[in-house]
Amino acid sequence: MNDADITADATDRMLLQRMSAGDRAALATLYRNYHGRLCRFLSRLTRRADVIEEVINDCFWIAWQKAGDFRGDSRVSTWIMGIAYRCGLKALRQHGDEPVEDSHIPEERTPAIDPEEDRELRDWLSKGLQRLSTDQRVVIELVYGEGHTLDDVATIMQCPVGTIKARLFHARVKLRNVLPALAEGTVTFKEQAP
Amino acid sequence: MTMLPTYSSQDCPRAWEMMPWVLQKSATQEQSEWLTHHLAHCSACRAEFVQQQRLHQAMSLPADVEVDVEAGLQRLLGRVDAPTVQEQPLRARSGSWLTRALVAAVLVQAVGIGALGLKIGSSSEAPAYRTLSEAPPAPVVSGAIRIVPDANMTLADWNALLHGLQLQVVGGPNDVGAYTVAPVGARRATAHTLQQLRATRGVRLAEPVTDTP
Repeated sequence: MNDADITADATDRMLLQRMSAGDRAALATLYRNYHGRLCRFLSRLTRRADVIEEVINDCFWIAWQKAGDFRGDSRVSTWIMGIAYRCGLKALRQHGDEPVEDSHIPEERTPAIDPEEDRELRDWLSKGLQRLSTDQRVVIELVYGEGHTLDDVATIMQCPVGTIKARLFHARVKLRNVLPALAEGTVTFKEQAP
Repeated sequence: MTMLPTYSSQDCPRAWEMMPWVLQKSATQEQSEWLTHHLAHCSACRAEFVQQQRLHQAMSLPADVEVDVEAGLQRLLGRVDAPTVQEQPLRARSGSWLTRALVAAVLVQAVGIGALGLKIGSSSEAPAYRTLSEAPPAPVVSGAIRIVPDANMTLADWNALLHGLQLQVVGGPNDVGAYTVAPVGARRATAHTLQQLRATRGVRLAEPVTDTP
């Protein structure tokens, strides 16, 4: 954890403390601070904006109620991502018969200012992620997108570190397999966990 | 079948494992330097690292699903305010109903056990038996005596006897012609009174009346 992470966590803890005392302004601040990363994280689970908002609000509703119970065993971000992950899985179960997966991104949903390079990158990533399982996508997002450690991801997903390590390995293998453009000097062999 | 980079040396698996942590800057400086050194002379890992950098860059792009943060926040704040008048009382009420139901159940059980105890207690007392031919028990006067006079005894003799022994009729005659007499006032009949009655001519039977047969 670098200095920026330590400072951010200290701020988050202060906000949680204020929330536990019923401070709605602290809730609003934490909500705005996490909205972007939660949107991206949850967009790996579903493409529906209404479901993403529902999950974010469920997550902060729980954070609001449990702010006083936060023991500080992990970073606040790990705690919040864990809540969001469980709320996301619950939403997936509830909307299980609805189209939550959408490999095609409608034009109107893409940000208005999206450089061509970014669009290409999104398409490249989209092709890879759709080949991964939900758990693998979540691990990739938490490690590469959110910058969490293996221990953090294990806490968020409530799994042993070894399981997370294996998911990360298999996800990377699959991504390399379906995104071979940059691969050089590859060999073919059976997939096995490290 | 899966494609993986060629492991050109024993260091390649370590380099492969270290890449994400170097990219997210959680690796130590020593680890970063080691990887940089390894990449300098391993083309396979270099290619993999380039792909990892691209993956990291792509994952760092903002979400492509637009969700209005302020609209969502307003809905959340509305939800936060609403529970104080809706959800919390509902939860509290459901909790108190459960408690009340349990208390009521315990009270009903206690009353039932108490009633059962009383019934058992009362049935354990000595029962007052009487034969079917016997008259319903009259209220027992303390020190009462049951007398059966002879049929030939005159009323004057009967009255004189009672008057002499300071007795008065309190019951009877019953089906067998027995009278119940008791001392006048609060005085108890003594054994002497009983002996005098038994010794009197015209009295066929004189027995003290007890509370239980």
